[in-house]
Amino acid sequence: MSRLNDVGGMHGFGPIAHSVDEPPFHAEWEARVFALNRVLMLRGVYNLDEFRDAVERIDPARYLGMSYYERWLTAIEALLAQRATIV
Amino acid sequence: MKLAAGDRVMTSARNPAGHYRLPRYLRGKPGIVEALHGRYLLADERAAGRDVSEPLYTVAFAARDLWEEDAEADCIVHAELWESYLVGL
Repeated sequence: MSRLNDVGGMHGFGPIAHSVDEPPFHAEWEARVFALNRVLMLRGVYNLDEFRDAVERIDPARYLGMSYYERWLTAIEALLAQRATIV
Repeated sequence: MKLAAGDRVMTSARNPAGHYRLPRYLRGKPGIVEALHGRYLLADERAAGRDVSEPLYTVAFAARDLWEEDAEADCIVHAELWESYLVGL
């Protein structure tokens, strides 16, 4: 499906800001989200493609306003709720 | 495997529901098979919890075929694409 993540070739987002010595994470919680996702996939709770699908299923208006790891956390929460791992 | 390096292909213009890894800017476009990678699990199916493998290829596209005069001349775009994304063989 053409979902909001499919922005290749699209104008209007401006230049990509990056710096040479950019840290891997901008806050400690981002590293935790990264680690949590790795563990859940290694344990077989979901796979990488199910995770990517969950990111793409975020409400479009919310998706655009989220940072990268906010999208990750939102997708993880949706997958765990779907699998009744958390309620 | 049906395709070989150097084969001319067209990409599908499908717009299926669900996870799909053929980006919009590569749909319904002509390209040339550049490399064969063997069979890989199709991400579209794996996103739905099913394991289905297909041949995976590197396909080269002329940027001018994608964006016409808005693209730089002599610029090539490469994409790794599954066989079911390719039609008109």
